[in-house]
Amino acid sequence: MSTLQRPRATLLGAGIAVWLALQPAGAAAQANPAAPDRATASSRADAYSAGVATEWFALALQLTQQTPGFSPPVAARALAYLGLALYESVVPGMPQHNSLAGQLNELSSLPWAQPDEVLHWPSVSNAALAAMTRMMFGNASAEQKARIDQLERSLPLKYGADFDPTTATREVAIRSENFGKLMAMALMTWARTDGGHEAWGPPRRTRQPYVPPSGPGQWSATPPDFAPALLPWWGENRLFALRRPADCPAPPPPPYSEDGASAFHQEAQEVHRISTQATQEQRQFALYWADDPGKTPTPAGHWAFIATDLLKGRRATLAAAAEAYALLNISMSDAFVVAWHTKYALNLLRPVTYVQRAIDSQWVPTLLNTPPFPEFPSAHSVQSSAAAVVLSRLFGAETAFVDNTHNDRGWGPRSFASFGAAADEAALSRLYAGIHFRTGVVSGKVQGQCVGRAVLALKVRR
Amino acid sequence: MFAARVGAGLLLSTMTAATGWTQETVPRIPRFVEETEAAGLQSRFEGAEEFIVGGGVAAFDCDADGLPEVYVTAGVNSAKFYRNRSSRGGAIKLDEQRSGLELTGAIGAYPIDVDGDDHADLVVMRVGEVQVFRGLGGCRFERANDMWKLQTGNGWHSAFAATWERGARWPTLAIGTYVDRARPEFPWGSCTAGMLIRPAAEGQAVGGQTFAPPMPLLPGHCALSMLFSDWNRSGEPALRVSNDREYYKGGQEQLWKLPPGQPPALYTEAQGWKPLQIWGMGIASHDLDGDGLPEVFLTSMSDNKLQQLQAGAAAPTYTDVAYKRGVTAHRPYAGGDVHPSTAWHAQFADVNHDGLADLFIVKGNISTMPDFAALDPNNLLLQQPDGRFVEAGQQAGIASVKRGRGGLLVDLNGDGLLDMLVVNRWDQAQLWRNIGAGTAERPLPMGHWLQLRLQQSGANRDAIGAWVEVDLGGRIVRQELTVGGGHASGHLGWMHFGLGQADVVKLRVQWPHAGWGGWQSLQANGFYIVDKDRGASAWNPR
Repeated sequence: MSTLQRPRATLLGAGIAVWLALQPAGAAAQANPAAPDRATASSRADAYSAGVATEWFALALQLTQQTPGFSPPVAARALAYLGLALYESVVPGMPQHNSLAGQLNELSSLPWAQPDEVLHWPSVSNAALAAMTRMMFGNASAEQKARIDQLERSLPLKYGADFDPTTATREVAIRSENFGKLMAMALMTWARTDGGHEAWGPPRRTRQPYVPPSGPGQWSATPPDFAPALLPWWGENRLFALRRPADCPAPPPPPYSEDGASAFHQEAQEVHRISTQATQEQRQFALYWADDPGKTPTPAGHWAFIATDLLKGRRATLAAAAEAYALLNISMSDAFVVAWHTKYALNLLRPVTYVQRAIDSQWVPTLLNTPPFPEFPSAHSVQSSAAAVVLSRLFGAETAFVDNTHNDRGWGPRSFASFGAAADEAALSRLYAGIHFRTGVVSGKVQGQCVGRAVLALKVRR
Repeated sequence: MFAARVGAGLLLSTMTAATGWTQETVPRIPRFVEETEAAGLQSRFEGAEEFIVGGGVAAFDCDADGLPEVYVTAGVNSAKFYRNRSSRGGAIKLDEQRSGLELTGAIGAYPIDVDGDDHADLVVMRVGEVQVFRGLGGCRFERANDMWKLQTGNGWHSAFAATWERGARWPTLAIGTYVDRARPEFPWGSCTAGMLIRPAAEGQAVGGQTFAPPMPLLPGHCALSMLFSDWNRSGEPALRVSNDREYYKGGQEQLWKLPPGQPPALYTEAQGWKPLQIWGMGIASHDLDGDGLPEVFLTSMSDNKLQQLQAGAAAPTYTDVAYKRGVTAHRPYAGGDVHPSTAWHAQFADVNHDGLADLFIVKGNISTMPDFAALDPNNLLLQQPDGRFVEAGQQAGIASVKRGRGGLLVDLNGDGLLDMLVVNRWDQAQLWRNIGAGTAERPLPMGHWLQLRLQQSGANRDAIGAWVEVDLGGRIVRQELTVGGGHASGHLGWMHFGLGQADVVKLRVQWPHAGWGGWQSLQANGFYIVDKDRGASAWNPR
């Protein structure tokens, strides 16, 4: 509760904090002699490297790819809880930051760190992330679970400077691990009631099987698999930061029409035309940003990979990593929920359904299969735009970066002039792939940018 | 200043000559001896998923000998009733007796004289319908649900409290519930509504007084403890509810006000209530700082809270002073287990008779949760004159590491010293006798004491809701007489006060929905019946 009483950040204070957060480990404590006297450097999370955090997110992205059921929305949710567990477990060691308890929906308070007990933030975060990873990837294979155990044990050895035994004594380490686990458990009690926890489990008895509405312009299962609608209730999930999906509406698509002169028909024709006339570059974009589950860490994992590279490249502190992972992943999870809510509220048909009905009965997208859920808006566009807004604030809007996410698949590295440029490309890739109309992309970007701004409105800094 | 060797340790004391009130800078540690086997207490609280919470014990006198009988819940096993055959000041002796109270599915119990006939009745919380037993005297009971029209349904009933609203002949009952029993496959977010049961209006009751149909307490957030307490001394108790964050969706701790004749209403943030989410398990309430307003201790999984009103009685805005007061009790203090603690029953009482309320906390792992302490000793936190508490469980001899749940501090053998009962999950209930600074053969109180029973004519015979103040000669200690709180465990009987070295004290009572009575002088170390009309009179055992 005390964290709720901390004063809000001034604009000037927030600006200084941005700069400090992205300095190399240890620099912030030295560069900010006026910071509150929380005690010695070891009592501050910015005295340690981001190594623990980046290692756990690297593993989480592998688990996302290899664990059954981790579709893009599910993956984004898991990464958000990991980011939040990291942040809340070390925020007592971040004197310029506020807990998000009291700011996120239905999360009023979290366990406190005892003021008289020194905690070792790498140990706290290692335990919190290990516990949360186990809970989020509860259906991981035995081999994957062994990797979780191994990472938890190996990090103190790998990051010897952060786990200096003269400061991280056995007593301090044990106490720190306990606090990290407790924080993860408290967050997990909250996570279980967000509506997404049982996404891959048996449906609740109270849930009826989903029957998509029918009618002109309504979504129906698409070729080639004609799979049932994916996660039809995901849009009802509790949001992290936004109060309700309506807070970030997507500008609506043109009215449904099969009239050849209608705006809707024109958009469908554009999809059909691009599909048959796409440039090599457009094809590359479509495949690069596909981020299919099971083959990649999904779209949210893609952006988390970019953030991890940036944190490592800048030798960021544990505190900076905590803030970045929390805000980025919360924005992407909320983006998926808002997008899903809109998708199932409008239930707009996919281009393949329309084109086969009104333009070309033999046409199917050639680059990607159409995902099994309604078209509007493009969730890729919503999520990428939200991520870009957050990363632009954290790292700078004009930050050029190299994306190494798909290097091991032979598709990278690729350079981008800014996060916004990357998000725009990711959004348009869905049009190039023949699975979205242009309005779904454009409106998705608007919606995603709104989500990003809403997450940045959290009072993270004092 | 002088040094003296008394009882368990070398202590420093300060004598205030003008008042006779003695303050010791280090609390004296009472000794407890376990007498579970010798007393004949043989009860195990057992059961799987539906018995992860609860495990209560009740103490009440149903044969008018001044010694409390004991009722121990046992989960899937049959609860047991024990007549108290202890010799006064001697070893504790409990005699198991068939009483009709032998229920299965019982997880908590609270005694209360519902119908004002001077016989304690018993409300048994169950996984299943709450059972209410009417005391007939002589430790005989009859089921009263039908007679009193008290139907709670077949839910998971996990908390209880009672109060008498202004002008009411019968009590208002609050019953807390846990998760939806019909949804075991996914209990999260399935907390069911609690219920408020008021007496039926006069004239609606046919064939005698009955209860009105339950009124839902919505939203329900998986209550594990409830307590009616006059938190702001307005004269109208409010209902504090401690809820388990493990299962609720968007829940929090709650405080309900009960406007006369109106439905209950939650205090809101606009009114000063600050949302708090914990694994709420138990409530203990006591005025620790002497301002006349009770502090509230809430047990949880490691993050226990001691709440103090931030700005007095104006608003229910509490701030946590657990750390400041030394009662975080978040890790085992002995036994070597380094994991966080799990706390259940909590109770303030003066176990060492120094005039300062101490804090008893029952601890125990849920079952085998690996990230929480498996060896989690119960706490006995002794209050120091500076208001901070120090742990004395190990030296006192009560550091049991079984999976504790409910418990009570209650004088079982009528010697003025508070003895200890603890119910353990998957293990035997335990009992310790407080021998103070003496030996098992010759117990020796560590200070003076007083035990009181309030009584008034008409409704609410036991004056539930009264406040009692005892002037120790310069310092006033006070207690509120309540039914509820703790974890699934309740006591109806003698109110206990430690007096320090004061051998004569003054006492006054603020009777429920009435003003203060006059001050009366009482000799220490005695039992008194304090009647609203006739004043205090000494009570002596037959």
